[in-house]
This record gives sequence, C-alpha cells and structure tokens, in this order.
Amino acid sequence: MTRIVRITRESVRMMAGNRLRVFIMMLGVAVGVASLTMMICVSKGAYKEVMDIVNRQGPALLQVRPGTDRHTGLPSGSRAVVSLAEEDVNAILQHVGNIHAAAPVKDRKGIEVKHGDKFTLTRIFGIIPEWSEIRDFGPSKGEFISEEDISFAARVCLIGQTVKKNLFGDTEPIGQTIRIKDVPFTVKGELKQKGVSSAGRDRDDRIVIPITTYFKRLFKDIHLSQIVITVEDTSSMDKTVEDVRAVIRERHKIAVGEPDDFAMRTPQDLIDLAYAASRSLINLLTGIAGISLLVAGIMITNIMLASVSARRNEIGIRRAIGARKNDILSQFMMECIFISLMGGILGTILGFGGSIILSSLKVAASKVTPTALLASIVSCSLIAVVFGIFPAKKAANQSPTNALRA
Amino acid sequence: MIKIKNIKKTYTKASVSTPVLRGISLSIQRGEYVAIMGTSGTGKSTLMNILGCLDKPTNGQLELDGVDVHGLDDDALSALRNKKIGFVFQQFFLLERTTALDNVLLPLIYAEKYPVDAVKRAKKTLVSVGLEDRMEYLASELSGGEQQRVAIARALINDPDVILADEPTGNLDSKSTNEVLEIFSRLNQEGRTIVVVTHDRAVAEHAQRILELKDGQIINSVANSKLKNSSDH
Ligand SMILES: Nc1ncnc2c1ncn2[C@@H]1O[C@H](COP(=O)(O)OP(=O)(O)O)[C@@H](O)[C@H]1O
Ligand SMILES: [Mg+2]
Repeated sequence: MTRIVRITRESVRMMAGNRLRVFIMMLGVAVGVASLTMMICVSKGAYKEVMDIVNRQGPALLQVRPGTDRHTGLPSGSRAVVSLAEEDVNAILQHVGNIHAAAPVKDRKGIEVKHGDKFTLTRIFGIIPEWSEIRDFGPSKGEFISEEDISFAARVCLIGQTVKKNLFGDTEPIGQTIRIKDVPFTVKGELKQKGVSSAGRDRDDRIVIPITTYFKRLFKDIHLSQIVITVEDTSSMDKTVEDVRAVIRERHKIAVGEPDDFAMRTPQDLIDLAYAASRSLINLLTGIAGISLLVAGIMITNIMLASVSARRNEIGIRRAIGARKNDILSQFMMECIFISLMGGILGTILGFGGSIILSSLKVAASKVTPTALLASIVSCSLIAVVFGIFPAKKAANQSPTNALRA
Repeated sequence: MIKIKNIKKTYTKASVSTPVLRGISLSIQRGEYVAIMGTSGTGKSTLMNILGCLDKPTNGQLELDGVDVHGLDDDALSALRNKKIGFVFQQFFLLERTTALDNVLLPLIYAEKYPVDAVKRAKKTLVSVGLEDRMEYLASELSGGEQQRVAIARALINDPDVILADEPTGNLDSKSTNEVLEIFSRLNQEGRTIVVVTHDRAVAEHAQRILELKDGQIINSVANSKLKNSSDH
C-alpha cells in the first residue's frame, strides 16, 4: 500500500467518524452544484429550442405582418390594422434584390368545416404555390395547390394531419368533398406533419386553399395577414430587411419619422424572442449558482477551520508519530475533495431532477446534458481546492507541540 | 543513544523572554531506563519535546543514535520520529472514534513501507500490553489505563530505539499506574531504552537513573538505589 493510499484511507475513516459535519458541507456544495446544473440544462434547453425553431423555419425566412406586433411575440398579425396587400408582394419582387421567393398569405382561424356528420373548427390559409416551398410545408400525399387552381379559383384544398384525424379518422380523404363554411371543396392532398409551433400552436390543424378561392368563395379579406419571403443569401438578410422595409413604406406612403404600419420578423428575431423567454430564468439560476457555490466554498473554509481547531490533538499526535506536513495537508485536502465531489454528485442528481421538473412543468425547456456533469465536477473540485487549501495548510503548519497541548 | 549538549530553550511571547532550559547536557545509553524528575513548570515537557524532535532548542546540540539532528529538515524529522521514537503522553492522545487496533496501526500509515503483516504485528503488540480482548473496542470505550496501554502499544509498533513518556501515569489511578510501570520495566528488561518524565518520585523510582530538573538545569543525576525494592509490588 503506497503512502498516499494509506492517507486516503485515513481521510475516509476520519470522515466516516464525523458524518454530520461531512453531510452539512456536502449539502452546501450540493445546493450550489444543483443550481449550476439546472442553469446549464435550462440554457441548453433554450438553445435547443431556438435552434429547432430556426431549423424549422429555415434561416432564410423573412415574415412581414401588418401592424407593429414585432415585439409582442404574438403568433400572427393583429387584424385590427390592415395594411399589407398583394401589391406589396409585387413591389418587393420587383424592387428588392436577394429575394428568392415571396408569397402573400391570408388566414382566419376558428372556421367551421364539415365532412358528412363530422365537424371541426380550424384555420384556413389562402396561399399561392410558392408558399409550400417558402414554409417548407408541402403535401405528404396528393398534390399541392397549382397555378391553375389559383387562376380558376378552384375549390380544392389540402388538409393538415389534425384536420384529417378530426374529419376522416382512418378513412382516405383524397378525392373526398368537405364543406368549409358550407362551400364544398375537394381534398387534393394532405399536408406534411409539422407538430406544435414554438408558440404552442398545432401546426397540423389547418387547411390550405388557393388565395383566389379564399377571396372569391369564403372571405372578402382584401388585406393580407402576412407576406412570407425567402432570401437568396442569408448573410445579407439585414440589408434585405431594410430594402423590403423601404419598398413597403414607400408604397404605404409613410412619411419620414412616422412608424411602420407593418412588422418584419427575421430568424434572428425568433432567436431573440425564444431566448428572451428563458433569459430571465437563466440569469436567475446563474445568480443562484454563483452565490450558492461561493457560500458553499465559504462554508467549507469555515467548517474545515473549525474542524482543524477541534482536531488539534489528532493533528499533533499524527505529527508526533511521523506524519509529515504534507501528509496532514493531503489528509485534509482529500477530505475537502471527497466531500465536495460527493456534494457535486448529489447536486448534479438534484439539478438534473430539478431541470426535468422545470421542463415537465413547462417552466422552461431544459435538456439533461453531459456538459452539466462536467461543469459540476470541475466546479466542485475547484471549490474544494480553492476553499480547502487554507484550512488544510493551517492544519499542516501547526507546530506539533502546540497541537499536543491539552 | 541520546546525547544532548548545552541545550537551551527560551520562549518569547510579546517580547518577553522566558528561559526555560538553561543549558542541559546529558547522555542516555542504549537499554537505559531514565526518569527525569522535577516540579510542575520546570521544563520537563519542553526537554522531552526536544529529545523527541517535536520542538527545536534555542541553542545546543542533540544527537540521536549518532546522528546530529540539527541539520535535518521537517520531513526528515518526521521520518526519524516515526522510526526511532515512541511517544507516550499523559493525555494518551488516541483517536477516539477509532478502534484500539487502528490506533496501534496509526504509525505504520506514515512508515516508509507498510509492512504486509501490519495487522498481525499490531495484534501481537496489543497482546503484549494485555489488551487481547479489547482490540476492536473504540478508544472512547476504554478505561484510562487501557487507553494508556493502547498508546504504549502504538509507541512500540514501529520497534523504536527509545520510548519517551511524558507523565504517562498522570491521569491514571494507582492500579493502572502500576500496570503501566510494570510494562515499562518489562520493556526495559527486554532491552528497550526508556525515558520517563514525571513529577512523582514513586514513578521515577522505577527507573535505573533519576535526573532532577530545577530552574532549567539538571541539579542531580543518581543511580536508583531503591530499584530492587520497587519491583516488590
Ligand atoms: N509554547 C510555549 N510558549 C511559551 N511558554 C511555554 C511554552 N511551553 C511551555 N512554556 C512555559 O515553559 C515552562 C515549562 O513548561 P513545561 O515544559 O510544560 O513544564 P513541565 O512539563 O515541567 O510542567 C512553563 O512555565 C510554561 O509556561
Ligand atoms: Mg509537562
């Protein structure tokens, strides 16, 4: 048995003899590491969520909505303000460079749709064929809306997976007729499954129809609910945003100094928006983690100092029978490191548990990540060394004769 | 075995110097059993700590087993204490929540090499001080006399050149005192060098030679004439 192994065993034996002290120190570290772990998991979760959104929408997507809802985070433009028109889309296509595609969109929610004796309320989108590529929202079965459908204002539609489930159950919808506000439409396709949006909306609960049909057969909406644009080169997104803004402002005859009557949203805005939701929680957890790790460290120093005084005789007799200063230092450092690591492991478990609870309560998206484990181990080892070295040195440097005074 | 020459020790506290040892010279032969006597506060423990390399003299020379201790660094002194010196203190200084056996094993933790037969050796040593049925007791569960015998076993485990005992019976009743003194006598008969510090003449009289310490100096060094009688009880 090498000397360091013997001293390590000795260190463990001494800790086993003082479980309350060990437990209190461990708890301090555990609290700090738990908040650190949660902070990292929540950050990771937020990052993942943001990236999911950006990936879902594509990094080239630029949305223009009526009104000024840019910072409200509302899922769709406010209908109170009517400003965008199909001419805006044409003007953008004509006057702005770096545009890959642009499409006008009209939509209304809560529209009644029937098939036989089945009934549902859903969102109706009036779109053009380009919309499918811009939003990456093509058919999983059947055909998408065609140019002819637009020209003839055909009563055709594609239904989302939720609508399919509500109206058709397990039966085949393509070729069937459904009634949107009592107007019969032929189902020519099913939309790809998209799941729930970042705003928590079911993106499969929708029907898309030609924008011309939307206007002629269903709703007399002259104005658009949004314009969706994809740019060619995402690196000049900012310039394109300004160009689009200028074109629309000119068309809307907005005087210099007056605010826009529309709002634009880039992938960066989405990132900012998604982060904003988690940021305050991340800041809070970072603060708690920092403070509690510091408190844990100070606790370690204090409890170890008290322990060194209380164990003066132990130190003295060890020195008398042959322990070197370094042996005493090792013993006490080892204690700090063990306690800190055990606290770290406990804290990581608590932190993982906490972040799972946070995400299951939908307080924050959080993701259990090995980074957190690494950060815990690093931070608690660091704490042990930084805050343990002073008491351990004090123990090692006691003069044996002083330590043996009763 | 032990040779000191003109040892002086002065404590300085808040710029007040208190000379405790004022030039002590003595030599102790291998196999000797020596008592250092003196009233409380005369510097017996101070001298003992210097002999045991726990403390350094302000002045003077200490030679242990032919080695001048002066030039040794702290680690070397620790190794020397581990190998050559066995301490026995008035307060026992056992690790309380630790078994008698583990207490006896303690010096081996700091030994150069951990012997493979460590536990066997520790048990044998405990048997030799009459604690064969107390090995697994925690120190805190033992009587004072038993604790001091564990401490003696701990001092013996590394087969030291000398046992230094500072008031070893100071906290013991007369029965335990006799047990401890009998162990010392037996160890001495087996050839072990023993130095006992005490203020108690009855204890000192178990030694072969008695040194009297007063005012920081040795005032008397006599061979013990009563040694024969003392082995009666
Ligand atoms: N570390 C110290 N600092 C200052 N004075 C000390 C110290 N150790 C001992 N003394 C003093 O030295 C004197 C001798 O002490 P000590 O050697 O313990 O005597 P004894 O063991 O004979 O009772 C006492 O007056 C004591 O107060
Ligand atoms: Mg004393």
